[in-house]
Amino acid sequence: MLEGARTKGLNIYTYSEVEDVEGFVGNFNVKIRKRARYVTSDCNGCGSCMDVCPALGADEFNEGMNSRKAIYVAFAQAVPATAQIDMTKCIKCGLCSNVCELEAVDFDQEDEIVELEIGSIVVATGWDEYVPPKGYLGYNEYPNIITQMKLERMLAPNGPTVGHLVRPSDKETPKRILFIQCVGSRDLTKNTYCSSGVCCMISIKNSKLIKQHYPESEVTVAYMDIRAAGKDYEEYFTSSRKEGIRYIRTNISRIEEDPETHNLQVILQNTLRDSLGLQKMEYDLVVLSCAMVPPTGIGKIQNILKLETSQDGFFKEFHSRLNPVDTKIPGIVLAGSSQGPKSIAESISQGRAAASSLARLMSKDKFKIKLIRAIVDKEKCAECGLCELNCPYNAINLVKGGAEVDDILCRGCGTCLANCPSEAITLRYYREPQYEEQIDAILEET
Amino acid sequence: MAGTIRAQYPATIRPIRINCTGRVTPSLMMRAIGKGADGIIVAG
Repeated sequence: MLEGARTKGLNIYTYSEVEDVEGFVGNFNVKIRKRARYVTSDCNGCGSCMDVCPALGADEFNEGMNSRKAIYVAFAQAVPATAQIDMTKCIKCGLCSNVCELEAVDFDQEDEIVELEIGSIVVATGWDEYVPPKGYLGYNEYPNIITQMKLERMLAPNGPTVGHLVRPSDKETPKRILFIQCVGSRDLTKNTYCSSGVCCMISIKNSKLIKQHYPESEVTVAYMDIRAAGKDYEEYFTSSRKEGIRYIRTNISRIEEDPETHNLQVILQNTLRDSLGLQKMEYDLVVLSCAMVPPTGIGKIQNILKLETSQDGFFKEFHSRLNPVDTKIPGIVLAGSSQGPKSIAESISQGRAAASSLARLMSKDKFKIKLIRAIVDKEKCAECGLCELNCPYNAINLVKGGAEVDDILCRGCGTCLANCPSEAITLRYYREPQYEEQIDAILEET
Repeated sequence: MAGTIRAQYPATIRPIRINCTGRVTPSLMMRAIGKGADGIIVAG
């Protein structure tokens, strides 16, 4: 990201949101709302304001596990490395603006709208971690049940515990750790899909990390199936077993907490050893390996770009096997988890595929379309709007005087003309009389 | 599809290529029935 920020010709708008997109391939007009940081671009990120700020907020980057000041830099590698003020926490005491030598604090700053002319768009909206409902597997009810994301931040050297693994209840190092797989995924009542084996591999990675840091700890993974499909993944899984990580094939029945020690009693049945029946096992810390879900706000960007989503809620590609990168709209492509759960390696592959798909499109001066397009006879058009409603490509706009077809967005499927009650629409090369002749000729023979 | 998997089907079935199943209008189907077709399969 820092390298990207240094690249000439590459403009990064962080802390910003796309408000509106109009136009078509080669000529998109994009409106971006740059949200107010209340700190101008003069800031050099020295941090003296953060030292004096008396107001506190939860550090979102560390999953709320530690506090940050109301004036803060989002995270160490943030681009740009300037401070911003969280106005929901700020008490407007003005201490920050007093100490700022560059006079960069501006309490009156407002959101800025930037308008850009863009040739093509890559949608890379990523994913969110599934949030289990309160009480499901003890989540949000017992303090020592955390999600994979929190564990990630805890194990990070720059995280809230500087890389030390601690239990939330007593800040002690846990001895017995259980990972629970498929929380919120491969479950008919939640998400039916598998998060592409990502949660399996993260659990294997983190269990290995914990075992390396604390060799005396007992690490167990409760799984349905370990999906280690990918180059070197199976070997990684096998090596974790050799290191002493225990795997139990099970679905967790329930979790109870010992109110005194805050240890967790996990009731489960090993499905590979049915004779053992229901077992009660005690753990110090339970990590929920939650599903990858579409990010919050995906609906908004979906409406703006007029894209479709698949059943899983992620953006729908042109064809799941033959063209997983492009969308139905020319000039808009998908990268990474915006299309579905993906590992880092897969996301990079798709990102590169997305870039090359657009490069092929943009390197030419012309964009060729087929002439098989819907044509509207405006004299017949009753302006009912059925075609606009039924067009799967959003290529028809009803304006005064009749429907108008966007020849670039139209793919010539003909759904509009089948729906048109006034017979005002025809499809070039596939007109009604042509079909009628075919039908007549076929049935004449018999 | 029937062609690529070399499936056998009666010679009395006559395919008409369309761009999209959405393109099929009721009037085309009614015309075929009216002219004596026994049935219509809309497949895609």
